[in-house]
Formats: sequence, structure tokens, C-alpha cells
Amino acid sequence: MCAEELDFIEKYDLLGCIQCGRCTGGCPVATRTPLRVRGFMYDGLNEERLEELSEKPEIWDCTTCFTCAARCPKGLEPLEVLIGLRSLLIEEGKVQPTVRDALESIFKDGNPWGSPRSKRMDWAADLDVKILEPEDEEKTDVMLYICCTDAYDPRVMKVAQALVKVLKAANVDFGLIGEEESCCGSEVRRLGEEGLFEMCDEENVEMMNSYNVGSIVAISPHCYNTLKKEYHGLKHPVLHYTELVAQLLEDGKLTLNTEMKKLITYHDPCFLGKQNDIYDEPRYILTRIPGAEYKDFDRCRERSLCCEGGGGKMWVETESKEERLAEIRVDDAKEMGAEVIAVACPFCLLTLEDATKVKGVDEEMRVADILELLAEAL
Amino acid sequence: MNMVVCVKRVPDTSESEVHIDGSGKGIDTSRLSFGINECDNYAVEEAIQKKEALGGNVTVISLGDKQSDEVIRMALAKGGDDAIRLEDEAFAGSDAVAVAKALAAAVKDVEWDIVFTGALTDDDGYAAVPVALGEILGVPFATYVKKLEVMDDGKKVKVGRELEGGLMEMVEMTTPCVLGIQTGINEPRYASFKGIKQAARKEITIKSASDLGLDASDCGEAGSWAALEQFTPPVVGEMAEILEGEPDETAGKLAGILKEKGLV
Amino acid sequence: MKDILVLMEHRQGAMRDVSLEMLSGAAKLGGTVVAVLLGKDVDAFADKAAGLADKVIYVNDAMFENYNSRAYQKALEALIAENGPGLVLIGNTAQGVDMAPALAVSTGFPLVTDVTAIEMDGDKPKPTRTFYGGKLNAHMNMKDADTYILTIREATFPADDPSKSGEIVKTDNPVSDDLSYRQFVEYVEPEVGDVDITQSSLLVGVGRGIREDKNLPIVEELAKLLGADLAASRAVVDAGWLPSDRQVGISGKTVKPKLYLAVGISGAFQHVTGMKGADVIVAINKDPDAPIFGIADYGIVDDLFKVVPKLTEKVKELKGA
Repeated sequence: MCAEELDFIEKYDLLGCIQCGRCTGGCPVATRTPLRVRGFMYDGLNEERLEELSEKPEIWDCTTCFTCAARCPKGLEPLEVLIGLRSLLIEEGKVQPTVRDALESIFKDGNPWGSPRSKRMDWAADLDVKILEPEDEEKTDVMLYICCTDAYDPRVMKVAQALVKVLKAANVDFGLIGEEESCCGSEVRRLGEEGLFEMCDEENVEMMNSYNVGSIVAISPHCYNTLKKEYHGLKHPVLHYTELVAQLLEDGKLTLNTEMKKLITYHDPCFLGKQNDIYDEPRYILTRIPGAEYKDFDRCRERSLCCEGGGGKMWVETESKEERLAEIRVDDAKEMGAEVIAVACPFCLLTLEDATKVKGVDEEMRVADILELLAEAL
Repeated sequence: MNMVVCVKRVPDTSESEVHIDGSGKGIDTSRLSFGINECDNYAVEEAIQKKEALGGNVTVISLGDKQSDEVIRMALAKGGDDAIRLEDEAFAGSDAVAVAKALAAAVKDVEWDIVFTGALTDDDGYAAVPVALGEILGVPFATYVKKLEVMDDGKKVKVGRELEGGLMEMVEMTTPCVLGIQTGINEPRYASFKGIKQAARKEITIKSASDLGLDASDCGEAGSWAALEQFTPPVVGEMAEILEGEPDETAGKLAGILKEKGLV
Repeated sequence: MKDILVLMEHRQGAMRDVSLEMLSGAAKLGGTVVAVLLGKDVDAFADKAAGLADKVIYVNDAMFENYNSRAYQKALEALIAENGPGLVLIGNTAQGVDMAPALAVSTGFPLVTDVTAIEMDGDKPKPTRTFYGGKLNAHMNMKDADTYILTIREATFPADDPSKSGEIVKTDNPVSDDLSYRQFVEYVEPEVGDVDITQSSLLVGVGRGIREDKNLPIVEELAKLLGADLAASRAVVDAGWLPSDRQVGISGKTVKPKLYLAVGISGAFQHVTGMKGADVIVAINKDPDAPIFGIADYGIVDDLFKVVPKLTEKVKELKGA
């Protein structure tokens, strides 16, 4: 245990922290939860306190949005300390039942939603889509990597269906993995289950490398980030769908003909913006929709507010009674007169749509993925 | 306090359709996911919690083929110490009593004060193993246990049995004893991937029917009270009137019906 | 045909329905129906049993004041040996299941549990039971024996009106064993919460289909609008999403509301037993094969997350109108 704790200090470079407080100062959930990440950077130096720190409920408030890391003048990643503390609990098996069930479901069935693998392709049942074969001699341009949430969640499923519609309209040569597709493990890692993440990494890389494709296009920024930056040995380039679609529009391969006379704003997903600097493509796409007026949130791009859907938060309820960040986001959108909040992430879609219902504005304000808007604008 | 916990690997059919296979006596499992029987998961947790509180050893036993190692390893990862897997073609077709005979033979070589099993299994649902096992071993037993308190340095236990209507029957028994655990007695912990990997290093002792000293007449169908002759799909009663259409339509129709019946 | 021995189950001064159901069912199988009543000063139950049995063996002894599976087992061993029945029926209840397998082991007679139908082949029963939570029926072939033991699922047979006046034979307690290794202590009543769902006239039942507790509000909103209380399946209670006093079913409450709206409930037998007496049953479930549609009056085969919010909307409109 001792060696492991010494590791903790080195692993997160805690001695490099100058306690400037920029991390806590920028932390979006610090406004509504007791989480003060700077304190953990300091307290984590005391190896005897790690167990006590891991039992503080606020370590589960972190959405791993990356703001603290982006703001750190020393280039540290304070959020990783919280993930490290979570992993201490995971080793002991002391996690909330919802987290336990999600992780067990990934281990058994390759998705966190407690659904059998045999239902993974239900979302595409009525679509005529190519299922890729491993070691196929003929190369397919694009392999779609469908997030578990897109595959199983009845609301988010529509986004995956829209992606298929859009790519077909642009005559893209693409295929799906099918029932063999498994969770990318992004949330697994952030819930602190390092071992299971390594399994996701190894098994998915081996599986994906066995296909003859030009690139992998991920539908969720969380999958995208993990495939691109956290996997080891993946040989195919990885794109987010906004990158592919923006290119298709620019090349004139995709044309939008149906008007949408709405004021649209766009919510930057943390894992696409802050963590991967993809800000322009989504805006490029939205401004190509005929008839649509586009307006940015006041807090946008690098300063965009987190929706609180990532970092395993789909399975951990925050105790705070303060207004959710997604609700603040909806208020902001309402104030600027937006009729549509466009998103490019399944978690943002769920949290923001939920917030419009809580705020009672779901009649007048729509939350939709960029892909859904595109499919309608074809 | 030494304990044995018996676990079974079963298909999860709670959210899946179940199709009868060509033999008429089995089901098509190709599209089903497998895991530990639900009650057994709670039994494992109960044994580990008692070990943590009182010390002792937990032996995990499962009757099944190699694939059952997965559920055994999870139980070991959570804190089990030793494992025995009972594997023999002779066990095919075993009902509850044949399983109980094999388990009884297996625990003979293990030191134990309490044998835990699940109260019932998700597949056949006989709910007869713990009570049959207790009788074969000649020790007190109780099933549908939803509360357990160890008393007098482990010489006695006080158990709460869940009866119909949520009523709890409190019973005191001497140890050694056999307890059939009901879901909800505790909150099962998570077995980390690392823990499962480490548990993979622990040896699982494999025992055949002859290792256990069982005759052919004790095993499988021969050793069972009854054999499964045939599966049939359940006879559906008068089916509900299914409202057709998109959610908007069906919800509208239903609201209308509720109104008509004076329920709104 | 040999006699059929039927064990009467009672608890806290009340005869359990399954006892009379089994007597009624046994009468239809043919043969003499012998009720076995073990208790302490339960003459009224003996009279009740006599109305549906050809004979009642009544053992009145303090040993049987509360159910003790060991005492029951020993008594039945003796009574079976003495009477040589062809068939022994015991309720597939928390009490019956705590005893019948041990009785089968000690007597060497075969047992099939949780039986939902019986056909007779001469003296041999051919029982049917269910597998996979009621998704399949299994037809069982029992090992040949002089006596067969079956535990019968509740509500398998309807309870008939009394039509017999069987002889009540008071019998000495045949059990003299020391049973101190297992002793009854007490009954603990379930905690009573803020809502008594057995008194609710409108109930919305929530099942596993809700997936997570944070999804509960969409159902709560509908329930509130309807003026209904929330009820739950076992899975939802075990997960801690709703308190145990909301559980409907065998190990929970039996409810008889005017409306039972089952949301994301598959309709396992254990649940259905507790709510099938509702006047109107409506089920919303995405699995068209869910057994709940077999007992519901109206059904919607669709995703509850799509239908429930729409239904809330429509009810709101109706209420507004």
C-alpha cells in the first residue's frame, strides 16, 4: 500500500502544485457542490489521508470537464487526482449500486446500460446499413463507432439514425461494427476503474485494428477523445463526426435544401471543445443550415459551461439542491431567444433536454443534436 | 467462523425473449448474457461481510462447466478465499436434490459453520436447494433469509425469513447450519477488474462425481426427483387490448379510456 | 386412487388462501382429500377445512402455535407413514418451501416445487411449473414412487365454496423429537410508511424498466396528476429506489385499486399475484411478450420514456378541458 501511495504523489505530480487556486476558481461544479479541487491537490500529499479523502462524497461531483487542467499554470491535471481517489474505492468495491451495475454491465455485455449485446443493433433495425467484416479485403472509407448511449437510449438512438441518413445522403462509404461493438471505456476510466479501462483499450484496439477501414468516426466526443488520445496502438485515424460532416459540406458532397427558420445556439461539449479544440466545425455546419440564424452563448468555446453529463455522472447523482448547470444553460439560451440548443454529444443532449423539462420550456425550446438538425435540413 | 457459499452461473432472461431450442428441453442461449444468479450474489456478499466482521474463511463452490469460473472469480475478488468447481457430465439434468447431493458431498471436506446458498435460482426457480442441502447434511436450515445476526461467538444465528406480505419471521438456530439467502439482505459490492484478475491466480479445485464419492444413481436425472420432459411457451390468457400507433396516439387513446372509465 | 394429503397453512390467526385452493384443486384430481391441520386451538380452521375435504386430520398442540418447519416436517413424516397417501400437496409459500424439500429428502419421496398445473396419469402426477421467471412452462416427469410431493403455487386453483362435511379426526401429536436447535422467536411486521398502497384507489406501479432512480420523476409526475400513489416491483425496492412499503406482490402488498397502471413492469408471477385484483389494469412495456399483457386490460407496447410523458400531457389536456 505504501508504495502505491508514494506513486500517488508522483503519478499526479502533486509536488508541482503551487496552490494558486486557478483550478477551483474555474471549476464549474464548485458553484453548486462542496468540491474544491485545490484542497485535494494539497491534502493528497499526505499519504495517510488518502483513504479519508476517497470517502469524501464530493470526489464524485467532478464531471472531468478538464477546465481545471486547462487553467493550471503548471500543466497539472487536478481532475486526475479525483479519478485516482475514486479508483481507491473501486478497488475496495465500495461504489454506489448504480456505478457497480454500469461497470458490471460493461464487463459482461460491453455497455453500461444493463442491456444484452444482442440488442445493440436494435437502433439500426430498419436501416439498410453495411455491417463490416474483419479482415475484409475491400477497404471501407469510414467505420462508424456508435456510443453505447446512442445504441441503447431510445432518445439518443435518433441521433445515430440521423448520422446514417446524413452519410447516405452524402454517398459516404461507411459501415458499422455491429453487435461486436463494445463500450469505449471513457466513463469507465473516469469512474476510477483502471483495470476495466485497460481491458476496453486492449480488446477494442485489437478488434478495430482487424478491420480494413480508412478512418473511424465517433459519434460521441467521449468515445472520440478516448479512441484518439487514450488508446494504445490503434492504427486507424479517429475523427469526430462534426469533422467529417464539415468536410462533406465544404466539398459540396452534402447539400442542405430544407429551410429551418430558427434561432439556433450551440453548446460546446467539454470533450470536443476544451479537450480537443474542435470549436469551428460544429459552428460551420450549423451556419450552413438554410434559413437558420446562429448565435453563440455568451459563455462559449473555451469558456463553455459543462452540462454535468460526463465523468461518470450519468450514474452518480449529486446531492446538491442548487440549480443544475444544464438548467443555467437553458436559462441563458432562453434569455438570448434561442429556439434550438444544438449539441454534439449524447450526454449533453440528455442533460440539457432534461433541463428544458425541469424549466418547463420544453414546448418552446428544442434540444437537438447537430445531426438531427442536418437530417431535417437535407 | 468459516463459511461456504454456493453460486450458480445463469442466463439473464429478465429483459430478453426466451426461445426453446430444438430438443424442446433447453433454450437458445446464444443471444443471452450470463452472470451470477441474483440471490447468490447477495449470498456472497453476506458471507464476505460476516468474514470481515468475525474472521474466518470463505469457500466458494459452484456446480457448472469452465465458464462458471467467471462467477467464481468474481466471488473470490470480493473476498472469497478458496474455490471448488464441481464438473462432470454425470451432473447433466440435475434438479434441486441432485445439486444438493453434490454440494453436500463437496462441503464434507471443508470446514464450515454456515453454508450460504441463494434462496432460488433465476433459471429453474426450484427454490429447494438450501432446504434439501440442510436436510442431507443433517443440520438446521432456513430459507428466504433477509436478515442475519451471528450470536454467542458463532454458536447460534438469528435469522429473519421473509414471508408473504413483507412479514418477517425471526428464528434462532444453532450452527452449523444452511441458509438460503433472499435478495435485498445487503448491498452487494463491486468486484474490480483488477481484483478479478488477481483472483484468477487463485486455484479453483475441480472435482468430479467420483472425486466426491457419488454414485451414478445420485447424479443428474437418475439422482433427481424429476426430469424435465418438455418446455412449452406459456399459455397466454386473454390478452390486453393493445393500443396501436405512435406514442402521441397511444397516449391519447389511453387518456381517453381512463377518462371514459372515470379514472381521470 | 390413493388419498391426497393437503397441508393447511395458517398464520397469525388466519387461514391462508392457498390451503382452501389446494383442497378445491385436490378434489378435482379424484381420490379422497385429507386435510392436515397442525395448530394450537384452531378448531375454526378444522371446520373450514372440513367444508372442502373428505377428512381432516387435526393435531392440536402448542408445538404448532407458530409455524416451525422442523415440527411440521416431523409431523408430516409420521402422518404420511401412517396414511400412505399417493400425493401430498403443500403451499409453495415461504413456509412450505422452508420445509417440503427436507420432507422429500427424509422420506425419499420425489418433490416438484412451484407447481402451476397438475394432470394425473393413474396415481402419478404430471406437474407443470415455470422456468425463467414465467417465460416458459416446463412439463416434469417425476421419478416413480409410492407418494409424490408437490408444492403448489398460490392461486393455481380457485377456492370453491364449501360443499363437503368431512370428518374431523383429532389426532395426538406424533412428534416427540427435541427441536430446540431451531426456535421461532417472533414475527416482525413490515414498517409502515407515509402511504398505505393497499388503501389507494389509483396506483402507478414502477418496474425495472425505469432503469434508474433519477428517471422516477417522469412517472411521479403522471401519478401526481392522476392523484395516484406510486407502487413498485421487487427489483425497484431491492435497488432502493422506492421504500419497501411500496412493493406489490407476494413478498409485498396485495392491492385492489380501481386502476393499476404498470409502467416498465414485465409481470413476473410474484408481482402479478399482488395486483391482479385491480379493476382496470393498464400496462406500458416495450417487450410485446412481457407476461403483464396477459393480465392487463389495455396495453401499449412501446418505450415508457416516450409514452409516459405523452400520457402526462394528454391527461393534463383532459383535466384542463
